[in-house]
Amino acid sequence: MATTEALREGALASRPRAPQSGPVARHLELLWELVRRDVRARYRGSVLGIGWTLLNPLVFMLVYALVFGSLLKVQGPSGKSYLVFLLCGLLAWTFFQQALVMAASSIIANAGVVRKVAFPWMLLTVSTVIAALVNFLISLVLLVPFLIVSKSPVGLPLLALPGLVLVTFGLSLGLGLMLAAGSVYFRDLQYIINLATMVWFYLTPVIWPLTRYQGFFGHGKLGLLAHVVIYANPMTWVVISFQDIFVFNRWPQHWHGLIYITLLAAGLIWMGVRVFRRLRRRFAEEI
Amino acid sequence: MAEAPIQVQKLSKRFRIYHQRSETLKQALVDRRRSRYEEFWAVKDADFQVTEGETFGIIGANGSGKSTLLKCIAGILVPDRGRVAVRGRLASLLEVGAGFHPDYSGRENIFLNGAILGLPRRYINSVLDEIVAFAELEQFIDNPVRNYSSGMYTRLGFSIAIHMDPDILLIDEVLAVGDEAFQRRCMDHIEEMRREGRTLIFVSHAADTVRKLCHRCLWLEAGAERMLGPTDAVVDGYIEEVNRREMAALQQAAEATSGPGWMGVRITSLRVLGPDGQEGLTGTGEPLLVRIGYEAPAGGLNRVRFRVSFHPADGPELVSVQTDDRELGERSLPGSGEVALTIPELPFLDGVYGTKVEIEDIASGRPYVSLDRPQSFRVHGPGRREQGMALVGHRWELPVSDPSAVSA
Repeated sequence: MATTEALREGALASRPRAPQSGPVARHLELLWELVRRDVRARYRGSVLGIGWTLLNPLVFMLVYALVFGSLLKVQGPSGKSYLVFLLCGLLAWTFFQQALVMAASSIIANAGVVRKVAFPWMLLTVSTVIAALVNFLISLVLLVPFLIVSKSPVGLPLLALPGLVLVTFGLSLGLGLMLAAGSVYFRDLQYIINLATMVWFYLTPVIWPLTRYQGFFGHGKLGLLAHVVIYANPMTWVVISFQDIFVFNRWPQHWHGLIYITLLAAGLIWMGVRVFRRLRRRFAEEI
Repeated sequence: MAEAPIQVQKLSKRFRIYHQRSETLKQALVDRRRSRYEEFWAVKDADFQVTEGETFGIIGANGSGKSTLLKCIAGILVPDRGRVAVRGRLASLLEVGAGFHPDYSGRENIFLNGAILGLPRRYINSVLDEIVAFAELEQFIDNPVRNYSSGMYTRLGFSIAIHMDPDILLIDEVLAVGDEAFQRRCMDHIEEMRREGRTLIFVSHAADTVRKLCHRCLWLEAGAERMLGPTDAVVDGYIEEVNRREMAALQQAAEATSGPGWMGVRITSLRVLGPDGQEGLTGTGEPLLVRIGYEAPAGGLNRVRFRVSFHPADGPELVSVQTDDRELGERSLPGSGEVALTIPELPFLDGVYGTKVEIEDIASGRPYVSLDRPQSFRVHGPGRREQGMALVGHRWELPVSDPSAVSA
């Protein structure tokens, strides 16, 4: 124990002052530290480790394929593989949903830290959304075997993916910030978001092709309502763009939708930051 | 002259005390439940500067706003009025431990805390072993901190804070936790940081520590500044006030009487007096006088037993003394009067004690009446060498010269 004793005696005075990271660097370093933590937390104490990220969408895909594909005879659009169709939408959706759910509890889950230490708490939320992004990127690997087996070619349109992912990230971040801050004041928001995303999932053309819906609800009031709900839903545009890339091997077709979700993402982030800043003033008291 | 590292200007902080709070969206939207709350100012118009290299103390009773003020300086709470300006790297130890995430290991929390304070990872790597060694957590550093004891938690928090090389360190009462040896090492480190010219703010109600460490002190009372100045003057004023309050409380309690008990017997007064006849104040080894007034409407007290017991303010009985049955059993006491008990040399150590009086029938053991005054007197202890409740006579032999010769 001689060395430890020596260390204990080793006084602060004898050491040069610790370096201080610059204002930008320190936030990046902290963010990096938080993301590491959030990504690792997911795999902690699980035998499968990173396998969970892959297994989760895989199981859902198989279940949906069984129920909707085999039993209810839903088919992929224009003779394309229903499995690939399902999986690419599901991966995009899982990213979004996970980001929202994790973001919603990001501040509350860190109550111990928020009560005791001041730093840009927003980073706690940002890091969970980044962690969801990391999981998503890992899960993309799943697509490879299915693309090969179904002989679906994927080419240049893949270049649209980063932009698309970025917009999805923006949508989740903007909503996530509001949810994270709101959850401090309203504890049931976390549960509500679980329920809401489940409903939202079925409103998004993940398991049913958008082409199938056309005219399904007729042209009356119900049809109009369905129309508004489906097209106002930003995830509709995200998912069908994913399907364009992976199922049809073509550039995303709906540029008006893409512009809409890009603007929406920017707006949500702006609003999310504003809401968060406003509500953070009393976090330490309310949490 | 350089700008002071901590400037607090006209700072006020308001809290909400909820009478009814809608904590869920369901309550807020579906039940249309509005939160109702009262506001109260936890800190009012705090205004001071802490200069570079100064150790600044904040004292005051519980709930006087000390911790709230500290949290405002740390940036955790946002003041409602006024402002705080902090220059330099600030580390804080608020209540028990720093901000830890319970699910993460000690090691991960070290990195996280370092990153929060803006230290590069490689620097944290370089001091990691020192932090762990100082906290004496070599074996547990990879366990989740949720499994740590409160002592371990505090040690880790303190160790991280001092090794993060802060310019400013805020300490809130933490030194009360942990064993003596660790407290000593903490104090040594605090001393050293003082010598190195770092700025410290120290919140405590331990007057001794504050006196030893702080250059200047702020005394808060109900959130407002009561006194600000050199430590000795402020601490003296504070202690005087505390004593005065305590005495006032004791005196008020002296009017205590019991309701009528069996056969209408009542205790009409219970007074506990110190050496100079001073109400409720004595010292270890000094006399204590207990005077009990009683009233027995049905023709006096026959064959009764008086019992007086003492206990710590809200603890179990320490010791009791009772009257001699043979002696008092043969006599009867008049319908009303007073009896007294003298303890010539009180063995109790520093603290506040309660006194309980019981009058009971000797034959049946049935109580006539009893009266308990939980805080009836204050004992000033002899010093720091004795701890606990009672003084025991003792003698040290250091070292024993002839082992075979030692005997009581």
